[in-house]
Amino acid sequence: MEKISVVIDGRTFEAEKDTCVLEVARRNGIYIPSLCYNSEVTSSGGSCRVCLVEAHQGGRMRLVTSCNYPVRKGLEVKTDTPLVHRIRRGVLELLLARVPDSEVIREMAAAEGVTEVRFRKDEGENERYKCIACALCVNVCAEVVGVHAIAMVERGADKKPATPYNKPSDVCIGCGACAYACPTGAIELKEKDGVRRIWHKDFKMVRCSVCGTPYIPEAQVDWIVSKTGKDRSFFDKCPDHRF
Amino acid sequence: MKEMTQIQDVSRFDRIIDRYERSEESLLAILQDFQREFHYVPEEGIRRLSEVMGVPASKIYAMGTFYKALSLTPRGRHTIKVCTGTACHLKGAPQILETLERELRVKRNGTTEDGEFTLECVNCVGACAMAPVTLVDEVYHGKTRPSKVMDIVRKQVEG
Repeated sequence: MEKISVVIDGRTFEAEKDTCVLEVARRNGIYIPSLCYNSEVTSSGGSCRVCLVEAHQGGRMRLVTSCNYPVRKGLEVKTDTPLVHRIRRGVLELLLARVPDSEVIREMAAAEGVTEVRFRKDEGENERYKCIACALCVNVCAEVVGVHAIAMVERGADKKPATPYNKPSDVCIGCGACAYACPTGAIELKEKDGVRRIWHKDFKMVRCSVCGTPYIPEAQVDWIVSKTGKDRSFFDKCPDHRF
Repeated sequence: MKEMTQIQDVSRFDRIIDRYERSEESLLAILQDFQREFHYVPEEGIRRLSEVMGVPASKIYAMGTFYKALSLTPRGRHTIKVCTGTACHLKGAPQILETLERELRVKRNGTTEDGEFTLECVNCVGACAMAPVTLVDEVYHGKTRPSKVMDIVRKQVEG
């Protein structure tokens, strides 16, 4: 890979061409807040707008989302300017109006000095209560898990992740990767008496033969076995007692 | 209405699907054909399409929710659209809408009990010079009057 140098906040870093700005900044200890980006998910990013930075190139400046802006030769990035903070405050104010009950958003907004919103708040009475419609859950389900159980449905302000017809999905394996990846904790995953409930569907959990802890849905074991050909007995024990 | 919500015979879907190439680009055209044939996109149709095309049902369902031209709930055999854009509104669209609601005994954006008509409001059909405009299926009727609108509907539907 071609190495190039990029300037972030006055410091010069070496990076592989086309790595995203956010990744380079993080690796070098420069903090840029973000929500919808996950470095393990190629299709993630670009939707929450929280990671905006100034990109200076060829004598021009643009505000860009650092999570999907590739580093190129001659790029200079500024992450900590009055403009960046002003625009980010606006973004966070809108997010806060959308999901006033999300602790993550409240904390992130407060860190930028936003505690009140001038807009009508969306009071949570439905399932997108804490959801900012960033689609990271959908991307994880499709790209990492590979089952496509959920998709972004409806449009505009009603857009949200859902299973077809909001019914228990035929293909969901109950792995919970979507809930794990969700930046605002908007996806409900409940476990009780060896049964996991997620996306309106119940999953029987496999218990560890040593400690008895229900630790993985049977459907997920089926999926992994069918995909990798791994021996089913591997899943008799939980990761803590496997070796 | 009952038999419309449960379409058991997958061959009715397959006949439509078979007209198209097995590729993701065909999905929207197939959904449009479902809409034309069944007056909505049935759940069984989406499931069957997913199976045949090997495209996740979640993706096809998302398409169904995205496009205004597709409906996921059963609709009437005929769709009446009353334009309520600015020009039509001023020229008396609200009265036309009220007349249709009263005569057909249906609320706006609803379907009559016999499954004959779906009544919709649309925001502008781009024919403001003809205001107020009422569409029966795909036919535009300009300068409609509350006293005449039911005649127009009956005449067209009875052909």
